[in-house]
Amino acid sequence: MSFAPRPAVQPWARVNTGRRIQILLASIVPILLTAAVILVTGLDRNVALMGVFLPLQLIAASAVGFRAFGRRGVGDAALIVFVVFFATFVLVLLASVVFSLVSQGAQAMSWGFFTQNNRYVSNTTSLEYGGVGHAIIGTLLVVGLTTVVTVPLGIAMAIYLTQSQSKTKGIIRTLTQAISGLPSVVAGLFILSIAITLDWQKSGFLGSMALLPLMLPTIARVAEEALRLVPVDLRYAALALGAPNYRAFFQVILPAAKSGLVTAILLGVARIIGETAPLILTVPINNGTSWNLFSGEIMTLPAYVYNYLGSAFVPSQNRAWGGALVLMILVAILFGATRILSRSKSLKSKPTKEKASK
Amino acid sequence: MSESSVTKPAPVRRKLSAGPLSTGDKWFFRTTSIAANFAFVLVAFILIFLFIQALPALTSQGLPFVYGTEWNNQQDPIVMQIGPMIWGSLLIGAIGVVFATPLAVSLAYLIVFMLPSRLAKVATTLVDLLAALPSVIIGLWGLFVFSPVASEWGAILNKYLGWVPIFQVKSADNGFGGSPFIAGWIVAIMIVPIITSITREVFSQLDRDLINGALALGGSRFSTFRRVIFPTSAGAVVGGVLLGLGRALGETVAIFYVLQITFNINWGQILEPNGGAVASMILSKFGEATQEEVSGLIAAGLVLFILTLGINFIASIIVNRAQPWRKN
Repeated sequence: MSFAPRPAVQPWARVNTGRRIQILLASIVPILLTAAVILVTGLDRNVALMGVFLPLQLIAASAVGFRAFGRRGVGDAALIVFVVFFATFVLVLLASVVFSLVSQGAQAMSWGFFTQNNRYVSNTTSLEYGGVGHAIIGTLLVVGLTTVVTVPLGIAMAIYLTQSQSKTKGIIRTLTQAISGLPSVVAGLFILSIAITLDWQKSGFLGSMALLPLMLPTIARVAEEALRLVPVDLRYAALALGAPNYRAFFQVILPAAKSGLVTAILLGVARIIGETAPLILTVPINNGTSWNLFSGEIMTLPAYVYNYLGSAFVPSQNRAWGGALVLMILVAILFGATRILSRSKSLKSKPTKEKASK
Repeated sequence: MSESSVTKPAPVRRKLSAGPLSTGDKWFFRTTSIAANFAFVLVAFILIFLFIQALPALTSQGLPFVYGTEWNNQQDPIVMQIGPMIWGSLLIGAIGVVFATPLAVSLAYLIVFMLPSRLAKVATTLVDLLAALPSVIIGLWGLFVFSPVASEWGAILNKYLGWVPIFQVKSADNGFGGSPFIAGWIVAIMIVPIITSITREVFSQLDRDLINGALALGGSRFSTFRRVIFPTSAGAVVGGVLLGLGRALGETVAIFYVLQITFNINWGQILEPNGGAVASMILSKFGEATQEEVSGLIAAGLVLFILTLGINFIASIIVNRAQPWRKN
């Protein structure tokens, strides 16, 4: 190594075109080499991925990093390789779930699958007959009842956590967080033990109650965040004008936080719509359509999937995939709605902030 | 100014009060505080009712309920012990956390420090989507799609790293399906989003000046991560990991489909098709349970609840302490 003065390069401009080509090469060559190794030696793909691709990629990236930044570049390269590798891994898993759902579930999709019930369906009946109509109705009823009960409760909780001056707020927030980790099977057992103690019959209503502790923390937390986003000056201004707290809330804060609260409700519904264990413990299932939540059997989508999943017969397994796809579509609709809402909220929030600062 | 005004009595001093003044306000705060205190009531009710129904099983089984290794409903005094299930839950949770933590921290790092903001939003949405997947769907996918692949991984691990005790199996003929290794992966997939979201929040709240300062002093990406980002956010990440562990212990349906549940304790041969999980065991036994067994299952649920509540409580305290900007 000579001590000749280095050319006056700009250190921040080291990622130039030449470097870009090197980075590109470092990303492509290991993939090609790994593919070649698999083709030539017939090595197992998983072994090749971990034993050939990852080391090669590390070496290639480190070499480029070393050429660009010296020794400091090596650590950077390793960090980037691992981060991208792990993140891609999660992405691949997610893609695999969605892809297999869509490809397997598509076999079952037809208009009849959405509208018919399974009254005359046996394990081997072909997919042209029967469907998830009764399960969709049951899910909407059970989840709807939970929503009607939980939403006022959760939002009132969020109001308490944001508007009052009470000292127990910290404890209640921690407790709510702790409830959010309540195992779903325990929620089911809780309602089951109430039912046994009070000698109630299993019904859709019990299922709704079992979903309540699972939905409540989500709504309370998201609604609290939404209320917190409203500038506190707005509330103080309303109070200074002589409004009592409740009018300040209903006339000033509520309109400003409306879309956030709707998001809270949608996320709460998305959280419980796929819950399976509590419903299996508390709701008896059937194959016919039922509109009665308070007595008798009622089918729900998660229970439908659960019911056909364990079957050894291919048509029943396909029913499970179909039911899961319908469930996923419902979740995706809820999820998409929250995204659209949050986008429109961020567009609207700018003018209100300006107004508030004026 | 006339003299009469001097003799006029001074106006009564208004009472200063921090509490609600109008009736409407009183009701407003009363209603919301009742709703908020419902959190206490809920936890208390869960404990009380589970305890009432678990009592017959707890009194008949005694302390061995928690550490014994047999479940037999054919014997006359019925034997119900869930030792292998508790251990199995902890083992699967530990495996899940070990797999999920690097994945989640990498994702969070990628989202906050590497991706341009538009791509970061897309990545965040994808992670949220992963969180929104119902566990029955993960179970379905785990049973038909993931288990065969993960059994291959298990076979490879056993072939090349079989000399490590935890990768040993009694006999490779049993196949590598139904192992805690696979259940751990399933759990890892389900807890990656929660660890990611907490880590991401901490990363994005880090003082940018601190990071820019480290870079200006000649730090590289790697040294900045090791010396600045990691030490300041480690606490919250640990909290997030604990929250994930609590989730993992309570995971029911997804594990139910991919795990071979047996009442032989599996101390750590994670590739052996032999494992346990409290929540999944409850589900698997519930279908044909007798009245006595239902009481035993509720007792198992009580144990699970206390376990997860403890972990979640500690986790939320750590997370809250590590995120001072969320206070008030």
